[in-house]
Amino acid sequence: MGRGILFVTTDQQRYDALGCNGGAIARTPVIDGLAASGIRYERAHPQNVVCMPSRATMLTGQHVRNHGVWMNGVPLPADSPTVAGLLHDAGWRTGLFGKAHFEPLLDPFLRFPENRMGISGETDEGGKAHRGFEHMEFAGHGSAGSNHYGGWLRKNQPEYMGSFFPALGIDLEVNSEGGGDSGAPQVRHNAVARENYHTDWVADRAIDWLQGIGLDDDWFCWLSFPDPHHPWDPPASELHRVPWRDLDLPAGYPELASDREAAIDAKAAHWRHWYDGTLVTNFEAPPRWVPATLTADQVREVNAMAHIQNELIDEALGRVLGVLDADGRGDGTDVVFTTDHGEFQGDHGFLFKGPFHVDSLMRLPLVWRPAPDRTVQPSVVAEPVGLVDLAPTFCRIAGIEVPQWMDGEPLPTSPTEAAVQCRQRVLTEWDSVHPGGAEVHLQTITRDGLVCTRYEPGTCHDGTEGELWDLAEDPLQLVNLWDDPSRRSLRDDLVGDLVGSLPERPGTALALEAPV
Amino acid sequence: MVEHAVDVRREIVINADADVVWDVVADAERQAEWFPGMVSSLVIDGTRTIVTAVGGMLIEEILTVDHQARCFEYSITGPVHLDHHRGRITVMEAPGGARVVYEQELEPKALVYVLDAAIGDALDGLRDLVMDGRISRSFAAPDAVPGGRPTEEGA
Repeated sequence: MGRGILFVTTDQQRYDALGCNGGAIARTPVIDGLAASGIRYERAHPQNVVCMPSRATMLTGQHVRNHGVWMNGVPLPADSPTVAGLLHDAGWRTGLFGKAHFEPLLDPFLRFPENRMGISGETDEGGKAHRGFEHMEFAGHGSAGSNHYGGWLRKNQPEYMGSFFPALGIDLEVNSEGGGDSGAPQVRHNAVARENYHTDWVADRAIDWLQGIGLDDDWFCWLSFPDPHHPWDPPASELHRVPWRDLDLPAGYPELASDREAAIDAKAAHWRHWYDGTLVTNFEAPPRWVPATLTADQVREVNAMAHIQNELIDEALGRVLGVLDADGRGDGTDVVFTTDHGEFQGDHGFLFKGPFHVDSLMRLPLVWRPAPDRTVQPSVVAEPVGLVDLAPTFCRIAGIEVPQWMDGEPLPTSPTEAAVQCRQRVLTEWDSVHPGGAEVHLQTITRDGLVCTRYEPGTCHDGTEGELWDLAEDPLQLVNLWDDPSRRSLRDDLVGDLVGSLPERPGTALALEAPV
Repeated sequence: MVEHAVDVRREIVINADADVVWDVVADAERQAEWFPGMVSSLVIDGTRTIVTAVGGMLIEEILTVDHQARCFEYSITGPVHLDHHRGRITVMEAPGGARVVYEQELEPKALVYVLDAAIGDALDGLRDLVMDGRISRSFAAPDAVPGGRPTEEGA
């Protein structure tokens, strides 16, 4: 019987989305079960809080400055080394199902191989593996886009193409329209049948592939669900799962506008500019949507939609695991579950994501269930780890030496191992330019229960701003300690550690070739 | 009249006579031969309809074909909604052959980076067509082209 690695990712999912992390709304028994029998990480951070840089980190095991994908729209160079390539070269079967996003999605002239594969329906790049994957079938956040799911839907369920919320408007900006019951942005009641929604489609494609390879083959399968990333348009048949009117507001959403705004004003200036709709710094949120207009009911409805999407993911994952258990491969399969970055989902008065290094976007679910036949003891690791550590972990599982070009190291399987590895810090960075002229640059270190962010000079920062959060005293990150004189030496120490720990910036930045 | 700044500008020098290059550029129906990712370009009554390789369309109004200045201008009018767009291709005599400058103005800016990279490819495609007769790649959507998908090297 072969060994297997099932790498499961969601997109834009919060830490508290899962029951095992304290989530009390969505029922996620499958992932909770993996956590109970494996290792649950309480402080896992991405190295960038948007899709393309973060996914490039997962695939390469490198910090952003080393793989070069410094913002959405920058394609990962075709010759970048990948963990999938290492496994493929070592004889492992390799497949990816769902969202890849190693190359830009907005690509009307089909400049990128992934989009050409999606349009043509081909599952490899001209008979060769693409970035180490011998088989890829892509899905995006709806029916549009150059991906296999869109083609499948067009062929099999064309009448439902228009049921999905169009993530981009006719001006190709992120769609600012509202919907659902509350008028929340990017919400829609979707008439598509649950079994034809992309979550189940992704699981179906992975199951087909897993059943097509030999039972004795070693395999690496990236099961990459596009949800719960906006648009929030799960099948309407599932809305009964979480009636939005019954939801309490999330703890991170101060209901009083004056409280929200006081907390926002304690942060760096671009927070308030975005809240008021006076500055668009990036493409990751609808430019015509003004966060100050967000209502409590809209927060409830968006949260309900995300919870429903999370339940569907959990059930789809359960089907995949069930197939592996049924054919005898379950005991030899390591399962790693995480996401690429988080989502505000109402925290601080915002939705979506952007250049904001707080737990909403940075604290991620991460669970590793080692193959049961390895008899690794269940554990909870509180020390900071990063998505940069995933690729080295896959090497460790496969018995492949971690190559020098990877920046991370294998995830610890216990607090003891974390101590041996001297796990102290995790780093996250953001750089963006917007054709409207806005530039934002920030870097963050998380260490000793503190989150410290420094801003480099940009459109609305002069380089002196920062944020310092004490996670124990202020888990909602409302009280910025950056200018607290009593924390000054600590702050300086953290900034020094941050600057000293980040890799050097490359001499030349890779070209930005699309907004997303 | 509102003045718009150029958002995207690329240029190339092609080792060929400027008039030869201009003849290709000025023939609006030939754009799909040198602009990668375009499957077809058809002009009817000053309106050019482009089918892209993803199966989408661009509708363009041809504004200027100035043979004297070797300047071709057009504007995307649909179905994507842009508050403003103007594309301009100018061919000039230059040391080493013909200098081709491709500029675009647009508002909003979502497509800036897409068009910047695409017109860079397009100028390379124009060079390949003029110098070697190579028709640009087109990865046509099966639905977009009767009879199926063209090969990578051309229809």
